[in-house]
Amino acid sequence: MTAPRGPQPFPGQEKRLRLLAFVRQDSVVRVDKRVEDTAMVWPHLLVIEFIAAMLWSIGLFAISAAFNAPLQDHANPDCTPNPSKAPWYLLNLQELLLHMDKGLAGVVVPTIWLVFMAAIPYIDRSREGVGIWFTSRNGLRITIFAAFYATLLTFSLILVDAFLKAHGYIEFASDHFPGGKQLLPNYLIPIAVMLGLSFLLVVIVKRLYGANTREWNIAVFTGFISVYLVLTIVGTSFRGPGMDLFAPWAVPATHQCFEPRT
Amino acid sequence: MLEIPAQIWQKTKTSYIWRSLFRHGYPDSRKNQSLAVFTNVFLHLHPVKVRRHALAIPYTWCMGGLSFFLFLILTLTGTLLMFYYHPSVDGVYNAYGDIKDLETVVVFGQLLRNMHRWAAHGMVITVFLHMIRVFYTGSYKPPREFNWVIGTLLFFFTILLSYTGYLLPWDQLAFWAVTVGYEIARASPFIGDEFAFVLFGGYQLGPNALLRWYVLHVVGLPLTVGFLIAIHFWRIRKDGGITGPL
Ligand code: HEM
Repeated sequence: MTAPRGPQPFPGQEKRLRLLAFVRQDSVVRVDKRVEDTAMVWPHLLVIEFIAAMLWSIGLFAISAAFNAPLQDHANPDCTPNPSKAPWYLLNLQELLLHMDKGLAGVVVPTIWLVFMAAIPYIDRSREGVGIWFTSRNGLRITIFAAFYATLLTFSLILVDAFLKAHGYIEFASDHFPGGKQLLPNYLIPIAVMLGLSFLLVVIVKRLYGANTREWNIAVFTGFISVYLVLTIVGTSFRGPGMDLFAPWAVPATHQCFEPRT
Repeated sequence: MLEIPAQIWQKTKTSYIWRSLFRHGYPDSRKNQSLAVFTNVFLHLHPVKVRRHALAIPYTWCMGGLSFFLFLILTLTGTLLMFYYHPSVDGVYNAYGDIKDLETVVVFGQLLRNMHRWAAHGMVITVFLHMIRVFYTGSYKPPREFNWVIGTLLFFFTILLSYTGYLLPWDQLAFWAVTVGYEIARASPFIGDEFAFVLFGGYQLGPNALLRWYVLHVVGLPLTVGFLIAIHFWRIRKDGGITGPL
């Protein structure tokens, strides 16, 4: 008799098997298996990675040799530069801040935006168009449309706001609106505009382009990205002292030490 | 002539020390190429083979990889900067003075500072572009939903990492740029004051804020981003590599 292979139960414990659970045949690794045209990572991918790393290192050295990081005077709480700006990647929020309540623009809107972003795969669950830029020609058309829609509207809204404020809108609101200049101008109107225009975009692409779920998500995402970029650009290069609007080539220099008039 | 280097090479390759390091021959055969990838701790992030499509630069723009590259550069230059930096607002050794010293006294200090600064701006851009490419190629779709969620967190933390670093030179630019953030934090609904207090260590921007943001910048956030990147890469493998047309 040959000895059985594999691990053996301890003497006396041979029969003590219990059923713990049924494991359905299913894999935790979710791979779309298909016939594939593959390449070896060594050398094909590694060569690309190596060259990319080299080029970017050289580029970074060159930029760092050519341009110095800014350093101004020692921080001074008594001396407010006008305007004081956040770094450019947050100027979109700072720009939004000018048009509504601070907490709404700086905390609530970005939080909702991030949550929506994270939720996209749970809204659009189809597998249609994975790995294809814009999914289809229709997707591309919708992207272009949404980009124009959002860009134009954002610019117009910024201009309208500047125009209204230049013509005594805030004073008028304080005197005549219910809730003064807080409730409607700072909360309800901006919320209505943001939600309304987003829904309108979805309705339009459904009507005009027969958009399915993936496609209206493309529209909304493109809209967000466009607004984000427009706000960043306006905040960075159209805003001067007092955060007033200027043409990018005519923005006056920052007043380094702004004394508030008493 | 050539025999001598060839012999040395041969000797080296069969030596006890060499063979304790490498357990495969030169990667010129399929077998050795596979072994080279999966026996190496750094390369084993990769599968042994990828789909040809994944190599196409017009497809990925390389942006995910470059974000990671910049993250590594930032870790390296950032660690070097830490040798010269005291997170304090006044006194003999203070943040602003240290930055000035980097620019004028430390050998290659200015270059080091510039590299860290520009790479930080660069990483915000590459992560943003990476997100755009992932979205428009529909790469968030099943089974990659969760990796997209990890991605949005990475986007958020990348920006925070950049912003916390912005305060550290403690010059006018830094101080007032972060004041903007401080005002926003104070204005958050319901818990504004408490939130600002926790984040800035007080009701105005001062030494406590600098210390908190320094700790977040050099420990808390890099660790968070590092962990998230590890999960991100792990999931890419478990979801079957990067996407391609079905
Ligand atoms: C620190 C930031 C990040 C790093 C270092 C990073 C790195 C990478 C790398 C190297 C890849 C492989 C493919 C490629 O290069 O395109 C990848 C894929 C992916 N990334 Fe990121 N990423 C980051 C942020 C993000 C963000 C912000 C998102 C989205 C919100 C995201 C979502 C994804 C998804 C879903 C994939 C799989 C794509 C596919 O299968 O085609 N990542 N990431």
